[in-house]
Amino acid sequence: MIKRSFFSLNQPRLFYDLVEPDLKEPESIPLPASLSVLLSEEIDSTKQALIKKGDAVKKGEKLRLYDDSTAYTTSPVAGTINLFDTYSDDFGKIATFIVIKPDPNPSEADTIKLDTIEDIGFADQFLRKLPGSPPFEVLANDRIKISTIVITCADTDLLSTTNQFVGLMYTDEIKAGAKILKAMTRIPKICITIPEALRTRVNFDSIQVIETGNSYPSTLPAMIMKDHLNIVLPAGQTPEDKGVCFIRAEALVSLARVYKTKESVFDKILTLIGKDGTRHRVRATIGTPLSKIFSRFNIHVNEQDRIIIGGPMRGFATFTVHHPVLADMDTVIIQDRDIIPQLSDYPCINCGNCIRICPVNIPVNLLVRYLEANQYEEAADRFDLESCIECGLCAYVCTARIPLYQYIRLGKHELLTLRADA
Amino acid sequence: MTTNKLTVSHAPFWHDGDSLFQMNLNILLALLPAAIFGIIQFGAPALGVVALSISTAMLWELIMNLMSKKPLTVGDLDSAVIGMIFGIMLPATAPFWLVVVGTFVAVVIGKMIFGGIGANPFNPALIGMSFLMLSWRVMFDFDAAYVNYDFGFTALAPLAALKFQGAAAVADLFPTGDLIMGKQVGAIGSTFGLGIILGGIYLILRGYIRWEISISFILGIIVTAFCFNMANPQVYGGPVIHLFSGYTLLGAFFLATENSSSPVNIIPMFIYGFSAAAMIILMRNIGVYEDGTVLAILLLNLVSPLVDNIRPKALGKAGNNA
Repeated sequence: MIKRSFFSLNQPRLFYDLVEPDLKEPESIPLPASLSVLLSEEIDSTKQALIKKGDAVKKGEKLRLYDDSTAYTTSPVAGTINLFDTYSDDFGKIATFIVIKPDPNPSEADTIKLDTIEDIGFADQFLRKLPGSPPFEVLANDRIKISTIVITCADTDLLSTTNQFVGLMYTDEIKAGAKILKAMTRIPKICITIPEALRTRVNFDSIQVIETGNSYPSTLPAMIMKDHLNIVLPAGQTPEDKGVCFIRAEALVSLARVYKTKESVFDKILTLIGKDGTRHRVRATIGTPLSKIFSRFNIHVNEQDRIIIGGPMRGFATFTVHHPVLADMDTVIIQDRDIIPQLSDYPCINCGNCIRICPVNIPVNLLVRYLEANQYEEAADRFDLESCIECGLCAYVCTARIPLYQYIRLGKHELLTLRADA
Repeated sequence: MTTNKLTVSHAPFWHDGDSLFQMNLNILLALLPAAIFGIIQFGAPALGVVALSISTAMLWELIMNLMSKKPLTVGDLDSAVIGMIFGIMLPATAPFWLVVVGTFVAVVIGKMIFGGIGANPFNPALIGMSFLMLSWRVMFDFDAAYVNYDFGFTALAPLAALKFQGAAAVADLFPTGDLIMGKQVGAIGSTFGLGIILGGIYLILRGYIRWEISISFILGIIVTAFCFNMANPQVYGGPVIHLFSGYTLLGAFFLATENSSSPVNIIPMFIYGFSAAAMIILMRNIGVYEDGTVLAILLLNLVSPLVDNIRPKALGKAGNNA
């Protein structure tokens, strides 16, 4: 954890980590005894589900809950469905998790072969759940006009180096994937972000390269758009609304592999950061419980430790060591309970630290007073709630230790609910 | 491994390690040079005043916490800071009841009834001080307060002398070196200019006070006093005597910079600091008070939310702010 320096006339600057100079192949995690995959649809007990306990599934088979479902997931192994139940995330969004028991001796016939065509509709139909979580749903949507695709080889959160690793290690596959993506979407402008310091170590041929700075939060989507694409993201809009779509480098690697092997791929690369800060580069099948990865490296998770998925500034904490590896999971951090910072329920003391550090000039000191009082509309209209790019720096420097980022995310969430109800 | 309960909370999972306790502890630390010098200069009564002031301020907060059945907040040392600032703004000869009444007004009326830390629209210590100054003005006549002391320097309160005798008459009485090194009559902690400046610089470097306010405050004193001095050097004192006497330096580093009652955006901070200082000189030169620091800063506390509306536009926000 980076602490406040003794002299802090200026606000602290946090820097992104760079990938190690000598890249090694990631460590493969053997297939566990059971895997779980997430499906972003709620179980509706009034309807007859398409899947049930004991069903045999093939590797790469699409799993849907109901006939009219648009959400789907794909089975990462051949095996049988052991269980499916409700899962709710940290904002109470309900999804379904499906536990699959792999078949110990899968045969060739248990793998579904894909008849790959370079069409975005096809990709949306079959490839949404590729490692790297490609946004095919957005790209295939006719109502969203995307004019620029940005491939991210620069990690958005601190400590994380997975995207950089993929960018350097699998450059050729990224180039191949970009070609396929270009043919699919017919979007002429494809750029790739890479940390400035790594620019000389990699060659992306014809893809336009965006060199990103090393200080947080310069690689967040809104900052990339502002600094490099000259598009100011209007308050309350997503990059997609302005025609910019961000895609992980790993998604392109997966895409290239799918078109090469004609079958779906499920190996996700992630970085595990232990309590002592050591990094382990891991290749695990999507759906592998994190506990399997921890035991592979003899990492012991104790009572009241924290497992952070994503980075220290923007990630989320899971409540179980059995949380599965997901398609968009880049980094897993284990934080010892002794270094978990305490929060408080103090009011804002108006010290101004958040104002100094906010990269988008939000009056956080005033905003938080409205958020504490549940005045979400007022917060959005007068105090720029929706301009927030969710970097978490305000909460990082807050002297009163108010969970500011939590208030802001909750405020945005409630605001959307309010507007949907109105 | 399966039964372990994990800590689940929201991002960010890091914190820079700062806390209210740290902040207030550092402010207390920064006040120590001035306070210790005052105690050495004015003796045991000064120690009594400061100690009583800090302890009663904390006690008032504790009583208010218990009465309102709220969590105890004394541990964050905010009341200790109020008590410390309040104590060193008193003359060493202040009677005990004056201190107790003053800290009551400062902590209870100045801070707690508004909702505690962060909610006070005015600097609590100044609320207490202004209450006492208006109620028992004679107690703040520093010339009368120290009549039984025998100092080795001009035993005249510089600002009172300046006001009633004119700049020309006092020009030789107060050498700048004496003023800076604390050889002047005044409140316990306001005489040792060098100590206050060192404390202030320490806080600025540590990032616990906003340098914009302090710098613009000092600039405001210098510019305004200089203008008056130019207009009539016989009557109005120059920047130096104004800067190093009375509560001016305490105001620059400890009073005007109080978090909750001062602005946080860059331009407003400069306006606030400069205007507070200009107001002080106006009060000293034109008003009836010898030292207008207390009332001038309170007045600008009132303006602070208004000027703080001058702020940069947030990313992607169209139209007017505020």
